[in-house]
Amino acid sequence: MKAINFNFFKNKNDFNRSTITPIRRVKDITRNLLTFLFSLLTLGLLVYIVVYICMSGAKYLTWNYISSDYNEKSYTVKSDSSFNINNEDLRIFNFKDNSKDVYKSEKWGVSFKNIKSNEGYYVVSINEVCSNSYFNELIDFNGDVFNSYKESYVYYLYGLDNEGNELECNKKDLSSFVTTLDKCVSIDSLSIRTFGGGIKGSLISTLYLILITIVIALPIGIGGAIYLSMFSKANIFNKILRSLIDMTSAIPSIIFGFLGILIFIPFINNVAGSSGSSILAGSLTLVVMLIPTIVKTTEESIIALPKGYMDSSLALGASKTETIFKIILPNAFPGIITSIILSIGRIIGESAALIFVMGTSTNDNVLLNQSATTLSTHIWMLLNSSEVPNYGAACAIGIIILIIVFILSLLAKIFQYQYYKKIKRV
Amino acid sequence: MERYLTENKILKNSNRKKVIDKITFFLFFFIASLCASVIVITVGVILVKGLTPFFKTYETSNGLVKPSFINFLFGFNWTSHGAFYLLINTLYAVILSLVLSIPISILTALFITRIAPKGIKEIFKSGIEVLSSIPSIIFGLFGQMVICPMVNNLSSLFNYQTMGGASLLSGIIVLAIMSIPTITVVSITSIEAVDKKYIEGSIAMGATQSETNFKVVLTGASSGIVSGIILGVGRALGEATAISLVIGNSLSGPTFNLFDTSSTLTTIMMLGLTEATGLEYDIIFSLGIYLMIIIVITNFSLNYVKNRIANPYKKPLFIIKARKNLVFYIKTKLKDRKNESN
Repeated sequence: MKAINFNFFKNKNDFNRSTITPIRRVKDITRNLLTFLFSLLTLGLLVYIVVYICMSGAKYLTWNYISSDYNEKSYTVKSDSSFNINNEDLRIFNFKDNSKDVYKSEKWGVSFKNIKSNEGYYVVSINEVCSNSYFNELIDFNGDVFNSYKESYVYYLYGLDNEGNELECNKKDLSSFVTTLDKCVSIDSLSIRTFGGGIKGSLISTLYLILITIVIALPIGIGGAIYLSMFSKANIFNKILRSLIDMTSAIPSIIFGFLGILIFIPFINNVAGSSGSSILAGSLTLVVMLIPTIVKTTEESIIALPKGYMDSSLALGASKTETIFKIILPNAFPGIITSIILSIGRIIGESAALIFVMGTSTNDNVLLNQSATTLSTHIWMLLNSSEVPNYGAACAIGIIILIIVFILSLLAKIFQYQYYKKIKRV
Repeated sequence: MERYLTENKILKNSNRKKVIDKITFFLFFFIASLCASVIVITVGVILVKGLTPFFKTYETSNGLVKPSFINFLFGFNWTSHGAFYLLINTLYAVILSLVLSIPISILTALFITRIAPKGIKEIFKSGIEVLSSIPSIIFGLFGQMVICPMVNNLSSLFNYQTMGGASLLSGIIVLAIMSIPTITVVSITSIEAVDKKYIEGSIAMGATQSETNFKVVLTGASSGIVSGIILGVGRALGEATAISLVIGNSLSGPTFNLFDTSSTLTTIMMLGLTEATGLEYDIIFSLGIYLMIIIVITNFSLNYVKNRIANPYKKPLFIIKARKNLVFYIKTKLKDRKNESN
């Protein structure tokens, strides 16, 4: 193996050193040093951005964060009106979790724990409810027994103690909450909330968006590419056609957002009966944006095919239609896959147009004719929703986006490499 | 008899195939026209929607308001819908960001292609290529988390109070960081395409490696570098989310102080999103026209520069040719008149 030359400043070619004056030598060294420093700066900066986003978001990126709803659900439960804990038989509770930071209420058979919520502050979460706990006998205001305590926290308690005094607690302090609960003999109202702030809705709507957009955009893009590469003769009309498609890619995405507002939202409102922004309108807007990308990539891969493929197919008596669908398209398939990968990357990263067309309100029950947020617009929403944004949660989404985008761009490179290798071998 | 039949069959078959071919041609022709008509429809719709506010009267809290087109084109205050300061702000921010990003990206490309040893070269190159796919919202997030506090600290060194770091400088830095990977990737391709003969010739003439890099390689790759800059400018001009997170969104201008809040065409468009209906909402589309005109002008002029660099002996633009011809025509006419009077 050849040794790597780390001495960038040594000039291999000037064997006659006497011709180089000291000034030239100094200039030479400064130029090389500048290039080296600037490139180090570039790469360092970009890597720093990625590392910084990963470092600040890593703490938030839990399974709970990915799989939970964005909007909190709150329930209010109470004990039966005739209920008094002192009149009940003595029950013995077996707690499974006996770690130190868990506070247990031996009287009620529940244990609590301080947990950082997805918004970034500490709450008293319900850690464990024993199977024979009194909590499993609490009823909600419809009179039904309530027992879905999983992944939720308490934020307000109102109960009566032995002498009939009213006790109230809405503190986030764990020990004071448990002592108040232990004093109560019955619960008049206990507010329970599920953990909100998750990104399940955004993830699902991003997937829907990708699916619908690709399904609509791919046939159109491939059709355009086939026309440009197979049918178009060199005349002025086709030249204009080609340059118009090229020009589409130079238009900024915010303009397509306007197009979405003016055309696609009214259209979807009429067709799908939605009101205002929706995922369908967003995907139609993205279709318009992605057409030039798909046309360009597919056309390149069709042109790169050896000319013999088409000629021999035509010589064997196949019509042009048969040649396109049986020879050209199957062989250009890796190119089409590359265009899909590139489009997915753009859909995930797109924010400006989607903020206009899909809205900024996160929806947990994703419906195609209602507004929703993708991962990118979820970040935008988090940064704009309050005076002190929750940067950690935004960075956690950033990590997901970065991972997906990096994997996609690597995949695209691999596909392209394989494709051109295969073509060259033929 | 049988032979005749087969021939007939073949003819029939080929006729059928011809018809199918015609149908496929028209199908794909239709699809391609659809792809191309997208831009025509976009521009048309936005032109119509953007120009209507100037022919309408709006009921606002200040009574009836009729927005004037002249004020929109040349005004300096967004509360009375003057958009000229936004144009100046946008161009100022983009040009300053290019001043930062162009040297950095060209030198990076030069290092990667010409100086770095092979192992480092591959790592740097694929690193930059992967990083060029980072979406802009990530840059906006990073800008708000890191660059804004940094700018805030910097401004307090100069005894200047910023709005928590949201300022023109933060916007410029974010734009520069965003356009660096784009320009670098295109520059790398164009530097790699420089003919090896030029480089060897330069070294044979006695130039050192760095002199060759700067004077021969960069000159040879300049048209490719300009096309990289075109892409970078396009990305910077059309960028909306990242810059609106860091620039502060001022409502009047133009702003030239780096630590003041500023606003560009796109950030005002993002602001108008919060308005539901009425004048504030409709006038946003007029800004779309402004933005498209700027993008078309910059693209055309940069493309012209690129073509001049690529082949300096090519015929100049039609307009310039026409102007030259006109000047020549007038001069000859004047001469004729002089001769006549003499």
